[in-house]
Amino acid sequence: MREITLSQAVNEALAEEMRRDETVFIIGEDVAEAGTPFKVLAGLVEEFGTERVIDTPIAEPGFMGLAVGAAMTGARPVVDLMFGDFLFLIMDQLCNQAAKTHYMSGGKLTVPLVLRTNLGATRRSAAQHSQSLHALVAHIPGLKVAMPSSAYEAKGLMKTAIRDNNPVVIFEDKLMYQEKAPVPEEEFLIPFGEANVKREGTDITLIGTSSMVQVCEKAAEILAKEGISAEVVDPRTIVPLDEATLLASARKTSRVIVVDEGHQSYGVTAEIASRINEKAFYHLDAPVLRMGALDVPVPFSPALEDITVPTPEGVAEKARMLVAGEMIHAA
Amino acid sequence: MPLDVIMPALGMAQESGVIVAWHKQPGDAVAEGDVLFEVETDKATMEVEAQGAGFLTGVVASDGDQVPVGDVIARITDTADEPAEAPQPKDDTGAAQPATDDLPEGQTVIMPTLGMAQDSGLLVAWMVEPGAKVDADDPLFEVETDKSTVEVPAGVSGYLAAQLAEAGEDVPTGQVIAIISAEAPAQTVTRSAKGAAPAAKAPEPQAAPKETKAKPAAKLESPKARQTSDPTGRILASPKARRLALEQGLDLYRLVAAGVSQPFHASDIETLAAMPDEVAAPAGAAAAASLHLTADIPAEGFTAFMAWATETAGMTDGAAVMAGLAGRCLDKASAVVAVEAFGQRRLFDVPGPYLSAVTPVDDATPNLILRDLRATRISGLHLGGEDAPVLSLTTSGTGLTLTLEAAQGQITPAATLSLLGDFAGRMEQPLRHLL
Amino acid sequence: MAKAKTNTEDYMRMYRQMVRIRTFEDNANQLYLSAKMPGLTHMYSGEEAVAVGICEALTDDDRITSTHRGHGHCVAKGANFKEMFCELLGKEEGYCRGKGGSMHIADQSHGNLGANAIVGGSMGIATGAALRAKLQKKDDVTVCFFGDGATAQGLLYEVMNMAALWKLPVIYACENNGYSEYTKTEEIAAGSITARAEAFGIEAHQVDGQDVLAVNALTQKLVARARKGEGPFFIELMTYRYHGHHVGDINREYYRTKDEEKDWKDNRDPIIRFRAWLVDQGIASEEEIEAMNAEIKEDASAAVEYALAAKYPDVSEVDMHVYTDITHACA
Repeated sequence: MREITLSQAVNEALAEEMRRDETVFIIGEDVAEAGTPFKVLAGLVEEFGTERVIDTPIAEPGFMGLAVGAAMTGARPVVDLMFGDFLFLIMDQLCNQAAKTHYMSGGKLTVPLVLRTNLGATRRSAAQHSQSLHALVAHIPGLKVAMPSSAYEAKGLMKTAIRDNNPVVIFEDKLMYQEKAPVPEEEFLIPFGEANVKREGTDITLIGTSSMVQVCEKAAEILAKEGISAEVVDPRTIVPLDEATLLASARKTSRVIVVDEGHQSYGVTAEIASRINEKAFYHLDAPVLRMGALDVPVPFSPALEDITVPTPEGVAEKARMLVAGEMIHAA
Repeated sequence: MPLDVIMPALGMAQESGVIVAWHKQPGDAVAEGDVLFEVETDKATMEVEAQGAGFLTGVVASDGDQVPVGDVIARITDTADEPAEAPQPKDDTGAAQPATDDLPEGQTVIMPTLGMAQDSGLLVAWMVEPGAKVDADDPLFEVETDKSTVEVPAGVSGYLAAQLAEAGEDVPTGQVIAIISAEAPAQTVTRSAKGAAPAAKAPEPQAAPKETKAKPAAKLESPKARQTSDPTGRILASPKARRLALEQGLDLYRLVAAGVSQPFHASDIETLAAMPDEVAAPAGAAAAASLHLTADIPAEGFTAFMAWATETAGMTDGAAVMAGLAGRCLDKASAVVAVEAFGQRRLFDVPGPYLSAVTPVDDATPNLILRDLRATRISGLHLGGEDAPVLSLTTSGTGLTLTLEAAQGQITPAATLSLLGDFAGRMEQPLRHLL
Repeated sequence: MAKAKTNTEDYMRMYRQMVRIRTFEDNANQLYLSAKMPGLTHMYSGEEAVAVGICEALTDDDRITSTHRGHGHCVAKGANFKEMFCELLGKEEGYCRGKGGSMHIADQSHGNLGANAIVGGSMGIATGAALRAKLQKKDDVTVCFFGDGATAQGLLYEVMNMAALWKLPVIYACENNGYSEYTKTEEIAAGSITARAEAFGIEAHQVDGQDVLAVNALTQKLVARARKGEGPFFIELMTYRYHGHHVGDINREYYRTKDEEKDWKDNRDPIIRFRAWLVDQGIASEEEIEAMNAEIKEDASAAVEYALAAKYPDVSEVDMHVYTDITHACA
C-alpha cells in the first residue's frame, strides 16, 4: 500500500470532501496561497478558488463566529485554527454558541462545522504555541473530538468529521505532519466512537491518544524484549468514546496505563482511567495509571521541554512496575 | 372576575417582602394603576399598583407583615362585599420542633461483630474517658471474644460524648455503645447497656444472605487477632485478587499466615489455591461454625402433605419423606440424608427425584443431617458445625424455624442459600414444589 | 419579496405587530412578577418600532440574529404568542421545546437564528449567515440586532472588518437605548457609534428608533442594496427601553430618573405616535384600533393560559438534542 504523510492525508481528505459537497469550504488564517504555515492545505486554493478557501484577518473569534453562522444556515465550514493554543480565543463561539445551538433550539438548528487545529509540544515553540487542550473541549456537551494518531486516521476521521452534522474538533499533532503511514487510495471513512487495537497483548493495556499512540507502541517494543506483552489501544475519538473496547482490554490484561499529551491533572487520562476504574474494577490487578504532560507551562529550553512529555522509556518503566506488582504509591 | 393581588417578585434572590403600608383599605374602590401598597425590598421601598379596576377585598396581610413572593394577599373584586372564603396566607412560622433526645448528637459506635460465635461481646474496659478527645485510629474499648481480647478503634475522630455500656457488661452485637461528637460535649452520658432501646439486632432474616457474607469477610478482616501489615487489620489485595478469592472460596488470611507479602495480586491466588486444604472438614470436634442461616415459615404444609401422601400413595415414613425433600435441595445427583428425631438417627439414601425411591440405609456418611426438634420446646440454636451440614427444624408459633449450620468449607455460601431456601419452600408448600 | 409599504394593510400590520410586542411584554412581565415564570427575562417595551420597522422590510428567507432582549425581534419576525409563551415557561410546545428559554428563543421557520445570552454573541453568527449567502449566491440578507452596550465587544470589530472586506449582505442594527445594563451609554462608549462602522468603510445611518415609518423606509432601501451586493450597512436606532435591564431591575432611580422614563413614555412612545398618525391619515379609526388592541390582548391572555397549562417536556428529553445523531447523549 502507498504511504503518505499526515499532511498529505489531511489535504486529500479535504479535497475529496470539497469535491463531493460544494457547501464545504475552508476558512482561517493563511489557508489559501500559503496553505497554512504547516503547508497542509497547499494546492487547495488552486483547485477550489478563493471563495472556498478563504483567508481571514487575524480575528479568531470573528471567523469562528462566522463559521457558526454559515453552518447554521446551510454551509459546512472547516475552520483552520492555526495553533490549538488559540482555542482560548474562540471558546465563546465554539462552546457557548456552536456546541449548544442544537440543544437550545430544541433540535431545530444544526451546526455542521469542523474545527481543525493541532496539539503537541517539543517543537521549541514555548508555552503559548505548544499546548494540548483537547480536554477542554471534550468537557463540553455538544462537541465531538477526534484525535488522529497517524496519516491513516487523519484521512478517515477528517472525512467523517466533515460529513457529521455536529460541531467536531479535530486535533492533529503538529510534530507528525511529515510522518508517513500506509493509506489506501480507495475512499474510506473511520467512524467516530470506534477505538482501534493497534497491537494485541496480554499483560498490560496501554491506551494512547494522538502521537502518544506511537509512544505506547515503542514502549510495547521495549517491554516485549523483557517478556512483557503489552496491548496498545487507540480510542481515535475521545467524544464519542468507545468505552467497550477499552474496558474489554482492561478486563483482558487487568492493568492499564493511559497516556496523553494533555497535562497530567484534570485531563483526558483522568476521564478514561475513571471509567475503567468504575466499570472494570473487579478485573484490575493494579491501579490504573495516568501519564500526561507535566503540570507546567511548556518551557522553551530543549533541555526542559523534552522532559515534560511522556516517552516510551517512561511508559515502559511504569508498565514494568505494574506487572511486577510493585506499589506505585504507598497503600 | 376577581383579580388576585399578590406579593410580587422583587428582584434577584429575594423570596419575601415586608408590607410597609397599605394605600387602600378593604372595601375601597380602586382603578387600574392605583397604588395599593408599598413593599420593602432589600434596596428600597416599592409601590405596587392595581392590575385592574374594582374593589379591594379579602385582605389577609397587614402593615408590617412579611409575605413570601407569590402569595395572594388580597383581591380586587366587582363588589365591595367580602368574599365567602378569604385567600389563606401561607403560614411558615412553625419551624419543625427538633426531636428532644437525652443522648448527645454525634456518630454512633456499635458493638461490632468480630467473628464471634455468640451474638454479643463482653465489654472488658473503656480505653477513653467520657468527654476526652479521640482519633479514629485510637482504641476506644476492649472486647472479649471467644478467642482473645480485642481492641476496637473509635473509627471516627471527635470527642467521646456518651458511653452506653459498662465494663463487664455483655452487649449484643450491633447495639450502639458509644457516641462520638464533633465538638467537645457540654455534658457526657454514661449508662448501662441494659434497658437500652432494642438495637438493630444482628439480623435474623428469613433467609440470611447477609450473615453468610459477613462471616467470610469478618474472617478475612478481623482486627487485632491477626498479624497483618496494615494496623487497622485490613488485608491489602487488588480487586481482581479479592474477586478470585471469593469466587473460589479461598481465604486471603492464609496468604498472610504463610508470610506472602502484601498487596496480594491475582498471581497470589494461584499460590493460595495450591495450598493444602486445612479447613475443609475438621476431624471430629466441631470447627467454629462459620455458616449459620435461618428461615421462618409461618405455616408448615408438611403435616398435611404427609396425611395426603399416606392416604393416596401409601407413604407412611415421615422421616423418609422429609429426607427426600431435603435431599433434592442439595446440588447432588444422589445424597445420603440423616434424620435425627427423638434421640434417634436414621440414614436415608436419596437416589433421585422421586420420594418413593428414598430408602433407609444402615451405614453411610450423610451429606446432610436433618434434626427434627419440632416436638421439643427448643426455639433457637447455635450448635456449631458437625461432620456434615445440619438443618434443624424447631417450632415457631404456628409455623417452623429452619436453621442451617455448617462448618466453613463443607458447603459453599451459595449452596447454603439454595439448600435452605428450597427446603423452606418445600416444607411450606410441599405439593407445589414437587409438581 | 418585500413590497413597497404604501398600502393600508401594511401599515395596519406594522401597528398590529408593535401592539403585539407591547402586549406580549406586559404579559411576560406579569408572569415574572407573579412568580410563574422561571428565570429572568428582558423587556423590549418601548423599542417596538425598531424591531417592527426593520422586520417588516424583510422576508422569511432573510435572517436575523437577536439579543437577550429578544421577544420583540421574535414577534416581529413572525412568531406566534402560544409557542413563545410556552418557551418562556419552559414547556414542551415552546419554539425550542422549552430548552432555550427567553434568552435563547429561536424560530428557525421564520429566519430567526436566535436570541443570545452572550452580549455580542450573535454578531459572528449573523455575519456568517451573510457569508454563506454570498458564497452560495443567494440573495437573502441578514440583520444583526445588538445594543449600544455590545459596541464594547471586540467581536463587533472583527466581524465588521470581514463583512466590509468581503462586502457581505449583512445589516448591523444598533439599538441605542441609552443604557448598557445599569450605566449610561456615554459612560461606556467612547466617540461615535456610527463612526465605528465608517472606520471600516461601512455606510452608516442614524434614525429615530421610535418612528416606525422612518425605520422601515430606511431599512427597505438598505436591504434592497444589500441584496445587490452593496452591503454591509450599519444603522444606529435611537430608542428607549421602559423597563429595567431585566424584569427584576425594578428600583432604577439610581441610574435613571423617573422623569426621564415618563418623558419617553408620554411624548415619544412609538405606538401612540403611530396610532395618532394612522387616525390622522384616515387609515384607521379609533374604534378599529381599540378593537384590534382588545383582540390582541385577548389572544395574549389565551396564549398565557394555554402555556401555563401546557405540559413540560418529558424528563427523557434532558439528554436529547445534544447531538444530531445520538438520541440520548447520556445513555
